[in-house]
Amino acid sequence: MKKILNNPADYVDEMLDGLCAAHPDSYRRAGESGRVIVRADAPVQGKVGVVSGGGSGHLPTFTGYVGRGLLDACSIGNVFAGPSVGDCVDAMRAADGGAGVLRLYGNYGGDRMNFDMAGEMLEMEGMESTTVLVADDIASAPRGEKAKRRGVAGLLYAYKIAGAMADRPGATLGDVTAAARKAVEATATIGVALTPCIVPEAGKPTFTIADNEMEMGMGIHGEPGLWRGPLKPADAIVAEMMERLLADTGIGRGERVSVLVNSLGATPHEELYILYRRIAQELADKGITVTFPLVGRYATSMEMAGASVTLFRLDEALESLLRAPAHCPFWSV
Amino acid sequence: MAPTIGTLTIDTLGPALDRLTTKLEGVAPELNELDGRLGDGDLGATLEKCARNLREVRPTLPPDLGQAFKSCAMACSKASGSSFGTLLAVAFLTLSKATAGRTAVPWAELPALLGTVLDALTARGGASLGDKTVLDTLEAARAALAGLPEDDRNDPSAQHRAASATVAATVDAFRDRPNRIGRARMFADRSIGLDDPGMIAFRHMLASLGPA
Repeated sequence: MKKILNNPADYVDEMLDGLCAAHPDSYRRAGESGRVIVRADAPVQGKVGVVSGGGSGHLPTFTGYVGRGLLDACSIGNVFAGPSVGDCVDAMRAADGGAGVLRLYGNYGGDRMNFDMAGEMLEMEGMESTTVLVADDIASAPRGEKAKRRGVAGLLYAYKIAGAMADRPGATLGDVTAAARKAVEATATIGVALTPCIVPEAGKPTFTIADNEMEMGMGIHGEPGLWRGPLKPADAIVAEMMERLLADTGIGRGERVSVLVNSLGATPHEELYILYRRIAQELADKGITVTFPLVGRYATSMEMAGASVTLFRLDEALESLLRAPAHCPFWSV
Repeated sequence: MAPTIGTLTIDTLGPALDRLTTKLEGVAPELNELDGRLGDGDLGATLEKCARNLREVRPTLPPDLGQAFKSCAMACSKASGSSFGTLLAVAFLTLSKATAGRTAVPWAELPALLGTVLDALTARGGASLGDKTVLDTLEAARAALAGLPEDDRNDPSAQHRAASATVAATVDAFRDRPNRIGRARMFADRSIGLDDPGMIAFRHMLASLGPA
């Protein structure tokens, strides 16, 4: 294993120490176990709290997106392991400004169980909360079984839209929940992986893949994808990803989308722009307008090489929320 | 007032929790080893953490069983790692709701309470009976209590004997069946012949809960 670390058991806590030391104006650690990151100014009184959570190993997802116009708090587990119920409870408490809390996180069984449990415990104390699950990975289940899809890079759009709605004066928990649901509905992602990654606590690659192979549709923890085969040229990879995304969403001529081209960790910006070049051409050919493109590292899988493409179908309401001001150390609008 | 024989009160719950936590700490290495064969090997460590947290709240438990069980749920919710910790928290929270505002619960209500817990764990955890999980041992215990003759339904010793026998038989019966959920599902064939760690954890917990 070639990683920059001290004791693997301290990986997450030392990362969080550094994160907060580097950005004290943005982040504060909270919670009994210290596994909650909250906005430095949380809770914002009178505002609906937006909370997420998940395992480490995906920065800037999930924790990085705590900030103004984004998340109020986030619970963090070990690398690729969910946060505990207690961490979820603490995150919700930290985000509670008295107007209710939205739990907005990726659709993973363990996280769902823990967040539901946390919600139930706080409901007994009188806190009002709702859940919206992000399930944007079109490779993880067919369209007919959307509820089984996993949450991947599209989380960013859900965070942005929910956070922007929560920032509007007078927005209720119902408003924020509806906006988040609409954002999830408008988001579709597919990823392609070229190499595995190494979970520090395990010390070995999560899976094996030959030097000349790629896997289409792989999840951000190395969940099996749609097919594995010889590595294709960038334009051919784009062709398949776009075909699958457009078929799944039905996005067509005359529509507006935001596009997120995301590195899974090791893939450099250069290669992301090679992908984006072809994506922009294909969308233009089909009469689909791209606005607000995002290219970079937004949801990673440690040092995995590969990329994901997300289409976010816009209408006026979503576009205005997408363009509303937001700030965290990893992303500002 | 002396504790009423024939009911669950804080005076029976407290010592039972002491025996449970001691047991969990004792069997942690065994459970880690068992879990490590097919899973990530953190079941024992997770339950050890639950035990430590339960020991901490034990002196503060009030006579209101609903409140007492809620404290236990909170204690288990802080243990990260294996989802079994969360399931234990779900079980305690379900008991908390079912006993809210009461200081005594007749032993005869146990099978109904276990049935409520089983429903909550099924809804939360997503496993079904027959998947070779802790649910199968829990259901076996519930059925054993529900099937006791009228005279024994308020007798905790008889309840414990019946539940222990059925749970042991259930563990034996499932040994050669495959796991159908969780990480072990991916190694279904290799799980044949191995006891499910969650079922073994349940058997140990039950063993510790016998009448003192």
